[in-house]
Amino acid sequence: MGRGYQETMNDVVMVASVLLILVGMTAAIFNRDPFDKLISLSVLIAGVFPFIVERGFLDVAIATALIAPLSTIFTLMVCRRVQV
Amino acid sequence: MLDEPLRILIAAIICWLNFMTIDLIFKLPHSGGVSGATAIAQEVEKGGGNLNGGYMMGNIVSSPDASAGTLLASCGVYCAGLPGGLFAALLVYVGNRICYDPGYAGTTGCITATFIVYGAVQSGWFAASDFIAGMVIAILTIQGLSSVHASRLIARLWKVRCRIIPEDKP
Amino acid sequence: MIAIYICAGIAVYAAIRVIIERNTMRKLPFLNVVSFAVTGIIALLLPHPITIAAAAAYFVGSTLESNAIASTWAGGIRKP
Repeated sequence: MGRGYQETMNDVVMVASVLLILVGMTAAIFNRDPFDKLISLSVLIAGVFPFIVERGFLDVAIATALIAPLSTIFTLMVCRRVQV
Repeated sequence: MLDEPLRILIAAIICWLNFMTIDLIFKLPHSGGVSGATAIAQEVEKGGGNLNGGYMMGNIVSSPDASAGTLLASCGVYCAGLPGGLFAALLVYVGNRICYDPGYAGTTGCITATFIVYGAVQSGWFAASDFIAGMVIAILTIQGLSSVHASRLIARLWKVRCRIIPEDKP
Repeated sequence: MIAIYICAGIAVYAAIRVIIERNTMRKLPFLNVVSFAVTGIIALLLPHPITIAAAAAYFVGSTLESNAIASTWAGGIRKP
């Protein structure tokens, strides 16, 4: 029990998060449509989060959680300006 | 305490009932709150689903509604007990304001869920983590399986709700 | 404590459904399920009062992001 049990539990979560990162990354590379690419990047950043939280970096987690969507919103604003 | 899979299943049903009831009361399937919700609803309808169901699915995606409230309430009670749940309700309220959401479905759902989860944990039958997994299962049934069937189910429940709470529509 | 396994499994399932789906707007409900599941994972990994703020920040952020994607898509870049 104790620390050993905790590590077994986190192994499954680690594998799942790595799968999320790989799936998001491959989809972002092979998608043609820019909106699909942004959605795949969202899946990728979702996979990174459990790693940040597991180490105890809760302040980094809060900061990343606020910055990453803002960067997507700014990307969309730039695209709208370029097209129109 | 019962067996864990059975507890999670019962918690999933409780969460599903909580967030569907509050969302239907707050008229989520009536129309899209923001333009993103309308876009999703139209695409769901093109795929063979129901437009009202699509509006509710779009509203769940675009702004923190009762489903988000229930999830964050369970997380709050798991991490910090009853004050944690109420702190989560405050954060959901701030989130609603940030998304320009005119309604209070999220905050209401969060407060009711806080009391439900806290009561269930205090009664000794459930653990708070059951409700977190239960809520994820509940949202999977609505958003994650088939948008066609889910939107038709929501449309049927919306018709029942309109009959129960008659209003004067302009 | 199988709750965290359930959240991890649902996250992977929904992520696969996101990339399999061809219609851009219909991807967004599956992305919403991924956000729910990862919020649950964050809360279950580290039971600490500040984790509530991290989970809520992540969830509200991902909701804002999906909303921005949907309304920009609907806003007219794709006018024929």
